[in-house]
Amino acid sequence: MGNTYGKRPEADRSPSGWRILWREIVRDKVALASFIFLGLVFLAVYGVSLVLDQKQIVTVDLFALNQPPSADFWLGTDYGGRDVFGQLIIGTRNSLSIGIIVTLLTGLIGVLVGLVSGYFGGTVDNVFMRFVDFFMILPTLMVVIAFVTAVPKYGVVSFSLIMTAFLWMGIARLIRSKALQERELDYVQASRTVGSSHFKIMFAQVLPNLSSIIIVTMTLNLAANIGLESGLSFLGFGFPESTPSLGTLVSYARNPQTLEFRWWIWLPASVLILVLMLCINNVGQALKRAADARQRRG
Amino acid sequence: MKRKRLFLPLILALMVMLAACTSGGGNGNGGNDPAPSEGENSPAPTESAKPPEDDGLYSIEDFSNVKKNEGEPIEGGSLTFGLVSDTPFEGTLNFNFYSGDPDSQVLGWFDEGLLTWDKNYVYTNDGAATYEVSEDGRTFTFTIRDNVNWHDGKPVTAEDWLFAHEVIGDPKYDGPRYDSNFTNIVGMTEYHEGKADTISGIEVLNEKQLKITYVQSTPSLLTGGVWSYPLAKHIFGNMPVDKISSSPEVREKPIGFGPFKVESIVPGESVVYSKNTDYWRGEPALDEVVLKVINPTTVIQQLESGSVDLVDSFPVDQYPDNADMSNVEFLGNIDRAYTYIGFKLGKWDAEAGKVAPDPNAKMGDVNLRKAMWHAVDNDQVGKRFYHGLRWNATTLIPPSHPEYHDASNPGLAYDPELAKKILDEAGYKLNGDYRTKPDGSELVIHFISMTGGDIAEPLARYYVQSWQAIGLNVQLEMVEFNTFYDRVGANGEDDPKVDVYQGAWGVGIDVDPAGLYGRDAIYNFPRYASEEQDKLLAAGISAEAFDVKKRQDIYKQWQQLMVEEIPVFPTLYRAVLAPVNKRVLNYAIGDGTGIYLHQLAVSQDKPFVAEK
Repeated sequence: MGNTYGKRPEADRSPSGWRILWREIVRDKVALASFIFLGLVFLAVYGVSLVLDQKQIVTVDLFALNQPPSADFWLGTDYGGRDVFGQLIIGTRNSLSIGIIVTLLTGLIGVLVGLVSGYFGGTVDNVFMRFVDFFMILPTLMVVIAFVTAVPKYGVVSFSLIMTAFLWMGIARLIRSKALQERELDYVQASRTVGSSHFKIMFAQVLPNLSSIIIVTMTLNLAANIGLESGLSFLGFGFPESTPSLGTLVSYARNPQTLEFRWWIWLPASVLILVLMLCINNVGQALKRAADARQRRG
Repeated sequence: MKRKRLFLPLILALMVMLAACTSGGGNGNGGNDPAPSEGENSPAPTESAKPPEDDGLYSIEDFSNVKKNEGEPIEGGSLTFGLVSDTPFEGTLNFNFYSGDPDSQVLGWFDEGLLTWDKNYVYTNDGAATYEVSEDGRTFTFTIRDNVNWHDGKPVTAEDWLFAHEVIGDPKYDGPRYDSNFTNIVGMTEYHEGKADTISGIEVLNEKQLKITYVQSTPSLLTGGVWSYPLAKHIFGNMPVDKISSSPEVREKPIGFGPFKVESIVPGESVVYSKNTDYWRGEPALDEVVLKVINPTTVIQQLESGSVDLVDSFPVDQYPDNADMSNVEFLGNIDRAYTYIGFKLGKWDAEAGKVAPDPNAKMGDVNLRKAMWHAVDNDQVGKRFYHGLRWNATTLIPPSHPEYHDASNPGLAYDPELAKKILDEAGYKLNGDYRTKPDGSELVIHFISMTGGDIAEPLARYYVQSWQAIGLNVQLEMVEFNTFYDRVGANGEDDPKVDVYQGAWGVGIDVDPAGLYGRDAIYNFPRYASEEQDKLLAAGISAEAFDVKKRQDIYKQWQQLMVEEIPVFPTLYRAVLAPVNKRVLNYAIGDGTGIYLHQLAVSQDKPFVAEK
C-alpha cells in the first residue's frame, strides 16, 4: 500500500483528485473489468432501447403465452405473451435511469444542504439539521409506498422525484460533517481575509476538496437506489406492468409455477441485478480507497 | 354434501375477478354486503400455466363432481381437510352469525341446515326437516324429524328455530343475516322495529312443528328463501342478543347437530372434530376429521405429500402443471359465477334508493356497446389464459343453473369486422387512429379493472388492445379490489370518470337476478333500468313463476333482453376444481348429489403419497 508513494516519478506535483480516482480503478483489475462491463451494459441498454418499440413489447399476445426462448423470442415470453428480452432491455433502462436520476438529484440536494449547513455552522446548521432529522425519522419505505399508491399516474421522472424526496438526507449529513472540518482549515480563513464571498469559498474552494468523497458516496448510492427501485417494483409498488423494470420481471417469480417451470422470465433479470450491483460496488470500493490516502493501491 | 350451506336467494358476492375463486356462494347469507368477498379472494397468487408441449386444453365436461370409489372402506379412520386461505379463519362458528366463507367451511362439518336441496337448488324433503306449502304458497309448515338432536343430546325443537328468527330479527342483532328474506315474514318488520313482542307470522305448533307465513309468495322461497338454521335456545336463550356472537359457545365450544362434533379449536388455525354417534342420518363412518388452514402457495405440496386429503378450493391456474398428480383425483364443477364487462349508463340516486339512468351517458349508445362485445375473443381468452377451465360466456345466467341458463342463446360472437361495421354505420368515424363520436367530438373511454392474480393485467390489456383494434380510444387503469368497487359504486358514489369496468359476480342459488340488475339494487353498477326489464324481473318472482316452465321462459326472455341491451356483457364462465386423495370414499362437490358427510370414509389408514 504505502510503498508506492515514494516511487512516483512525477512527484513534484501532487496528482489531481480525478487522476487518483482513475488510477485506482485501473490498478484494480476487478474494478476495471466491472467498470468496462458497466460501460457496455449502459451502451447496450440505452442503444438498443432506442430501436425497440416499447408499445410493441408490452402488447399482450394470446397466442404466445409462456414461450420458452426461441429465435423469435430470445428470452421467451411471459404469461401475457410479451417478449422477455425486450422487457429486460427496457426494464434495465428504466431501472438504471431511475437510479441515476435519483442519485444525481439526491447528490445535488444533499451537497447543497450539507455544504451550506456545515460551512456556516451555528444557527443555520441547527435549523438545517433539525430539518434533516425530521426527514430521517420518517419511515422512508412506508411513505414512498403511500405516495406511489396515492399518485394515480407516474413514470420514470415522477417516480424518481418521489424517491429523491426521502433519500437526500444521508449525503447531506456526510457533506455537512466534512464541511465543518474543512471550514476550520487555514485556506478558508485566508480566503475569507482577502475578501472572497461565502459563495465563492463554498463552491469554488471547499467543494472541490470534497469532490472525491462526493463521487464515492454517489457511486455507492447508485447501487442502493437501483436496488430500492427494483425492490419496490418487486413488491408491486413500483412501476405498473406496462412499464417494465428489473423489479417487475423478478416479481413474476412470486408465482410458484413461474418459479418452478419458467426460469427464462425471472432468471435473466435476477442475474442482471446481481451483476450490476456487484460491478457498481466494485468500482465504488476502488473509488473509496482512492479517496483515502492510507488505503490507496495506486 | 359439505356444501349444504343455505344461501338466501339474492346473495351475490362480489368476487376478486381473476383470482381463482372458491365457490361463488361461499359468503352464504351475507346478503347485500360486498365485504365478504374477501373470502372469495383467498387462493391464487398465481394465474398462468400450460406446458407448451401439448395443446394444454381442458374441459369441465371431463370432470366428474362425484369421487370414484376405489377399494373398500375401513372401520373408522381419520381424514385431514385443508382450508385454503392466506388468512386465519375468523372463528364466528354459528350459521346465524358468521360472515366469511372460511368460517362456513369450518361450520359445515359440525352443523347443517334443517332443509336440504336438490341440484336445482329447490328444497327437498330429505333433510332434517320436511315442509309443506299451503295453497296460496305463503304458509310453510315444517316438521323436524324426531331423532334430530343437538350435540349435547337435547332435541332440536321448533322453539330453537323460532329463536333463530327472533335473534336475527332483534334490533340488537349484530350479524349480517337480516335482509329481505326476513322482512318477507309476516310481522317481522314490526318485531324488528320493537313495535311487537313476537313475530306474528311464525307459530310453534308443537315441539317439532313450526309454521311460517310469508308476506309474498315467490318461487325464491323454495330456493333459499327460508331461514333453516335453528339456534339452541337452551344455551343461548338467556344471553343478551348482542353478546351471543362473542360467547364461548360460538367461539370456543360451538354447538350444532351435524355429523361431527368439535373436539378442540386452535383459533384461526385448525379444528379437530370427532364423530357424532347420535347423528340423525346415522353414525358417521369416520372417527375423526382434522381441519387446518393451509396457504394457497403450498396446496400442491401438501396434497402431494398426503398431509391433506381434501381441500375446500384449489387455484385452477395451478391445475395444468399438476394435472397428473398420481395420488389425487380432481373433481370438477361449474362455478356459480361469471366475469363480465360493464358499461356505466347512469348514476345511483341515493335519496330514492334507485338507479338513475342517464340517456346521454358516454356509453349510452347500444351500438357502441355491441361493437365492444363483438371485438373481444373470449373463446381464445379462456383457452389461452385459462386452458379451457374458463370459457366463453354467453348470457347472464351461468350454466351452474342448468334449468335457467339458456344454452340456445349464443350471445354475441367474436367478429371484429362486424364491430367496425356497426361503428361505421352508427356514425363513429375514424379520425386518425381513433374514432370520434357521431357528433364529431373526441371519444375517450376510461376502463378500470382490478389487480390481483397474475393474469389480471395482461387480460385487461388484451381487452384494451382489442378495442383499440376497432378504433376505440380506451384508456386502462388497474386498481386494487376495494378501490375498484368504491369507484364503480358499491357505496352508491359512482366515479364519473369510469365508463367501462371489468368485474365478476358470484351468484346465489336462487336464479332471480334482481339483486344485481334490479332498479333498486345498489349492485346494479351499470345503473341500467328499463320498464321491460322491471316487468320480467317482477314476473320471475311472481306466484305464477312457481311453474318452472313459465319461470324458465321468463328468464330466457330476460337473458335475451340483456343480450340486446348490453348494460353488461358476460365474458367468462368458470370451473371449480377439487383435488381429493384417492383413499377418500363417498365424496362429491356441488349440490344435490345425495352424498352426505356421514358416509365419508377412507380406504386405508394413511393417505396416498404422490409418486414423483
